[in-house]
Amino acid sequence: MKRFQTDEIRNYPVFMGIRKVYLALMFLMIGTSMVFAQTTITGTVKDKSGDPIPGATVVVTNTSNGTITDMSGKYTLKVSSGTTLTFSFIGMKPITETINNRTVINAVLSEDVVTLSEVVAIGYGTQTKREISGSVANVSAKDFNKGVISNAADLLQGKVAGLNITKGSGDVTSGATIRLRGTSSLNGSSAPFVVIDGVPGGDLNSVAPQDIESISVLKDASSAAIYGSRSASGVILITTKKGTKSAPVISYEGYVGIDNVTNKPKLLNGDQWRAYAKANNKDITGMDLGANTDWFGEIMRTGVTQNHSLSYSGGGDHNNYMASLSYIDMQGVVKANSMSRVNMRFSINQKTFDDRLLLTLTANEVMGDNSPTDNENFILAYNTIPVVPVKLADGTWYDNTDFDQGNPVRNITYNKRENRENKFYGNIKADYEILKGLNVTANAFKERNTNDWGLYNNSTTQEGRNAQGYAQRQSSLWDRSMFEYTLRYKKTYKEVHNITALAGYSWEQNDYRYFGAQNQQFRTDLLGFDNLQSGENLKPADVYSQRNMSKLISSFGRFTYNYLEKYVFAATVRRDGSSKFGANHKWGTFPSFSGAWNISKERFMSSYTFIDDLKLRVGYGITGNQDGIGPYNSIDLYGQQGKYYDGGQWYTTYGPTQNSNPNLKWEKTAMLNYGIDFSLFKNRVSGTVEYYNKKTSDLLYTYNVPTPPYSYGTILANVGSMSNKGLELLLNIIPVKTRDLTWTININMAHNKNLVTSLSNSEFQMTAVKVGSAFIRGGSNTTTHILEVGHDVGTFFGYECTGLDKNGKYVFTDINKDGVINDKDMTYIGSPQPKLTYSMNNTVNWKQWDLSVFFRGVYGNKVLNYSRMSFATTQWLMGGNVLVEALTSGLTDSPIYSSYYIENGSFIRLENANLGYTFKKESMKWIKNLRVYVSGQNLFKITKYKGLDPEVDMSGLTPGVEGRDYYPKSRTIMMGVNISF
Amino acid sequence: MKKTSILLLLMIVGLTLTPWLQSCTDLNEVVYDQVSTADFGNTPKEIASLVSPIYNSLKTARGWNFTHLGEESADMMVVPTRKGGDWWDGGQHMYTKQHTWTNNNTPLITGAYSDIQSSITTCNRILKMVQDKTGVPNKDRTIAEIRAVRAFWYYMYVDYFGQGPLVTDYADTSLPTPKSRVEIYNFVLSELIAVKDLLRADVTGDSYGKMTKGAAYSILAKMYLNAQVWNPAGGAQWQKCLDACNVVIGLPYVLEADWKKSFQVKNEDSKEIILPAIFSGVLGGNFLANATLHYLDALALGLNIGPWNGMSADPNYVKSYDPADKRLNWSFLRGPMLDPVKGTVIITAHGRPLIHTDDITMYEATTNWGWCNQEDGARCYKWEIPKGLSSDMENDFAIFRLADIYLMKAECLVRIAGGPTADATDLVNAIRKRAFSPEKPIAAAALEDIRLERRYEMAWEQYARQDNIRFGTFLNAVPGWRGVSDPKHLLFPIPKDAMDVNNKLVQNPGY
Repeated sequence: MKRFQTDEIRNYPVFMGIRKVYLALMFLMIGTSMVFAQTTITGTVKDKSGDPIPGATVVVTNTSNGTITDMSGKYTLKVSSGTTLTFSFIGMKPITETINNRTVINAVLSEDVVTLSEVVAIGYGTQTKREISGSVANVSAKDFNKGVISNAADLLQGKVAGLNITKGSGDVTSGATIRLRGTSSLNGSSAPFVVIDGVPGGDLNSVAPQDIESISVLKDASSAAIYGSRSASGVILITTKKGTKSAPVISYEGYVGIDNVTNKPKLLNGDQWRAYAKANNKDITGMDLGANTDWFGEIMRTGVTQNHSLSYSGGGDHNNYMASLSYIDMQGVVKANSMSRVNMRFSINQKTFDDRLLLTLTANEVMGDNSPTDNENFILAYNTIPVVPVKLADGTWYDNTDFDQGNPVRNITYNKRENRENKFYGNIKADYEILKGLNVTANAFKERNTNDWGLYNNSTTQEGRNAQGYAQRQSSLWDRSMFEYTLRYKKTYKEVHNITALAGYSWEQNDYRYFGAQNQQFRTDLLGFDNLQSGENLKPADVYSQRNMSKLISSFGRFTYNYLEKYVFAATVRRDGSSKFGANHKWGTFPSFSGAWNISKERFMSSYTFIDDLKLRVGYGITGNQDGIGPYNSIDLYGQQGKYYDGGQWYTTYGPTQNSNPNLKWEKTAMLNYGIDFSLFKNRVSGTVEYYNKKTSDLLYTYNVPTPPYSYGTILANVGSMSNKGLELLLNIIPVKTRDLTWTININMAHNKNLVTSLSNSEFQMTAVKVGSAFIRGGSNTTTHILEVGHDVGTFFGYECTGLDKNGKYVFTDINKDGVINDKDMTYIGSPQPKLTYSMNNTVNWKQWDLSVFFRGVYGNKVLNYSRMSFATTQWLMGGNVLVEALTSGLTDSPIYSSYYIENGSFIRLENANLGYTFKKESMKWIKNLRVYVSGQNLFKITKYKGLDPEVDMSGLTPGVEGRDYYPKSRTIMMGVNISF
Repeated sequence: MKKTSILLLLMIVGLTLTPWLQSCTDLNEVVYDQVSTADFGNTPKEIASLVSPIYNSLKTARGWNFTHLGEESADMMVVPTRKGGDWWDGGQHMYTKQHTWTNNNTPLITGAYSDIQSSITTCNRILKMVQDKTGVPNKDRTIAEIRAVRAFWYYMYVDYFGQGPLVTDYADTSLPTPKSRVEIYNFVLSELIAVKDLLRADVTGDSYGKMTKGAAYSILAKMYLNAQVWNPAGGAQWQKCLDACNVVIGLPYVLEADWKKSFQVKNEDSKEIILPAIFSGVLGGNFLANATLHYLDALALGLNIGPWNGMSADPNYVKSYDPADKRLNWSFLRGPMLDPVKGTVIITAHGRPLIHTDDITMYEATTNWGWCNQEDGARCYKWEIPKGLSSDMENDFAIFRLADIYLMKAECLVRIAGGPTADATDLVNAIRKRAFSPEKPIAAAALEDIRLERRYEMAWEQYARQDNIRFGTFLNAVPGWRGVSDPKHLLFPIPKDAMDVNNKLVQNPGY
């Protein structure tokens, strides 16, 4: 037995001790390092004014280890590795802080004044504002109009310089005329082309406004040319809301509003009518039934509008979804005029295959019911005298069979007009990342729109009494399929050269079919339009059907290059082939080029610290418009042309229905655009100034041709040319920006000069054509406008009237001084095209409150006041009613179209005022956001125009006319709430 | 991983691309609701429907433009501006009545010109189609019918416009150069002479509405009747006119004992009608009731239409009738219009009793001809307006009828003889027999009697202008409306629109 040596025994514990210490030290070190790896870091994230920022992201840089600040801006994060933390929040500049063994790290985030990094949708892709070299105006959801919004056009009104949205009628079922940078077509539409989530050719009514995330307007040819032969009037790109990578959010938005008419025509009331009869010794026996009826008031009502929308969205790392349901119900201020619509939308994004494949499935359904107004009732309300009642003492309706006379209330009560429409589309998109920076996308889309129409005119009413009851039913169906493939490439070389490239192919087919039937002379009115077969007077022309198709095949490409985002260059080209084009021009090519210089990034500009961003850009492109061509316009066809009589029977006649034109093609627009985008004083002042020069050629118009040798007296041909030049200004100013109070001003101004430059070529000649019709009694063959080289579209043409003489007769200027007033003395008496369109929006945010006031106006346009022309004359008394002006104007002549009725149409309108209160987030447990508001729409207008409203229909070749069947505008007061959970 | 991803890419692209590879670049249009001209016109039925537009064109010969121009420019009809402005219509009716029309201020003239030209083009087009086709039943007769209808339209053109384009070949696509009035006149004669005996000569339900032998000879008779006006150098052709009239009278046409039979709603049974413009209420085209009646006349007459209060008769024309002449009230709607329920006179919107006076009083004639009261003027009542009318009229409008031929023959006989003859007087009295009871025959019908008889018999039928020019009264002053007219107004001007598209055309003298 070895006994430990004393010194061995004496050394063992030390050795053990040393070992223990080592172990302990090791554990300590490990422990410490583990404790060090597991450091809990806390802190508060605040903004420059000291307010905490809830929901800010705190993450260990370049890892996925992160968290979000709570309601008081505090966060707690366990950090095991990494040396820096990154703090970020939407709209703020991200900050990176090194950890440096700290356990408490606070951050102060400041506003990201660099607005040009905002991502904007452009054709077939997105770009940051800094990278864009064309003219693209982007409006996002926070800037949309508030108030009565029935479709996407309402969101944009007044927000984009040069984009004019005019609602010519107060009818809730009527659409608006949309023009971007002036009219550029005679025959076809000048409305911008609509693209919804990348699918071209959509309809503004098919997506609920609440589902829209942002709208980009491609204003110049260099940005729009990628859409080729349909983009000459600009492109409106709508991007809908997608789900987000977060916990599910349920949102509800709704409002209820009351509408009332703003002003009715000032017609004589019963007492004024009687006084006139007495003062002028008129025999009114039998005409005065002792009543005092305000006919316009009788056909009007207070309309109620409501709008509800519910959406549900959420998502995770690999997918997100968005579902929404909205409902709108608008009652017009004229009885029986209404519109209601249900929108349902579902969209899901799913990533798979290692996140390289992104599948998007979207389904969108719109169901609408609407009841348009019968404009004839306005004419009746003007004409019917005020001394007769709506109903006689015995309860029967008052009525009158004279010309333009009848009981409009009876018309509205018994006659029906109903439209039911259904729009459905489904879209599936697969986007696959083949290599880093190279993506291929396949997109398939199918849409079906159906429309069902029913009309009944009751046999006792003014509309239906001649036919003894008239019923009509019509139905249409429109199918659209589209397939699209694109290849996208994005690469940065040597960290300074950024290149993107795009190549694509698209195929689209449209199929349209339509049929209708009508019948008259019904023994009973009880069946309405639901039993056409019981009518007793069916005519051969009462049954009809149609069908047509068209196809569009395209290939397109884009190349962009920028050097350090300082020098930007982009080029696009599109080749479109349409089945509608004539055999000689089936395919068209539409190129564009643009370039931009971000001057603010240059070194020599760094001394100007007040300039945040300054970009100069120029773009040129060629776009096309094929809207004026219908299918089959370019080929020889026989169609049914009435009937012929043979031996006691009637048979169908066939004959040519058009002159074919194998040279028929699109209208071409070439546009040159210069722009300056700027942002100054840390984004306190920002905006854009633009100048454009737009030349449209190959204008489609129907020309007269001699009938020998042509078989038809007219032919549709591409001949003329037109120019639009203009200047646009967009200005955003933030005069006050403090912790509690922010005041923002947005100003938009645009000036456009339209000019018809040619209407002839070597084959077809025309210098001027008079168009329009003075739609008053005895006014047929009196034209109102002229289409002439050297003048803008819609120029009024007629006698120049300097006033009335002492006998109340018109004094017309004898232009050619030949002593006679005849059609040689007609001249140019004004233009309905405005010289300036502008809008101004003021938004004030004070603590929880927000107030926005939006003015919109137009200057320098003229409006033809038909109502005044028709009814401001005593000619119709006593049998018809007249405007009060007839008694005071002194006019004794029969109405004649002249400049006497062309009035100054400039106006400024308080379009919307909106006052809202957003509840504090801390005060609510599970509500993420709650805002209530009160809003007024069309509160007042300032104008010299004497008619009902200076904003009238501006479409076609005869714009700027307030007809005698004009539907008055209304004012809405509403209350609403936005809430999200 | 790369292989998988490329495979996947190919799958996606392949799946979606394959069905569409064929139609990648196919832009052919498929026509659904009309027929391509190559696909239609191969069976007798289809050919018949392609030829039929020539007869539908006759409707425009008695359509809006000619109904107004033919009578309004003469002294039969007036469309005055009414109180309140109705019917001012840019002044065209005033220009037509007062002979102040120009080449572009009267749409009636521009419309009449294009009516003629498009009808001629339709005839040329159909003629070429029939000539080139095989398997056309009765090809020779069909071609004869087309040529005769075309000749009818050129007859209208010679009457209204005189010189102008003479196009006969549809394949000729060059801009036509104008031919003189005489050349067109001779062309019409040559065409009719070539085809007149190839046409059917029966007068049956089957031949009604077609271009028959009787119709062709009637056009020929009109050509010869007006030879002195349309071809002065050729001299009067009264004998040839007489011969043509005799051929027509020799055919089975009958002077109907009931005068109204040729104007009633279902007048296709009238054997007096030689060539009608056939109308159907459901297809529209005969607008006479709408054009002439006052708004509230519908109430008085029990109609379901909303008329326009336009066409009225010239006061002096109405007053020239013998009060015993039944045709006075058969042709014109005159006098008070009564409410069928109350029995009292209807009051108009201006508080005046609705009495269709013969007189038309114009007020405030200053820069234009002023206005008259709504109810003034005798209205067109010749074609039966049935109770309950709710559309356009069904009545066919006779372009040629036997009574007209009788009077033409009488005129020729008197002109050849230089004075009244027994045969001429018999013809005139045959017409008068229907119009008077007790009968009021004329002892000896002189030229003036025949001229007047034409006016009494043919009111509203579009012959006032042609007859007045032939009798030399067209340029005379029309009391109440205008003074003596310049001879240039014997022809209408070639419309400015037509000359703008064809610079080879030449304007008529004086315009």
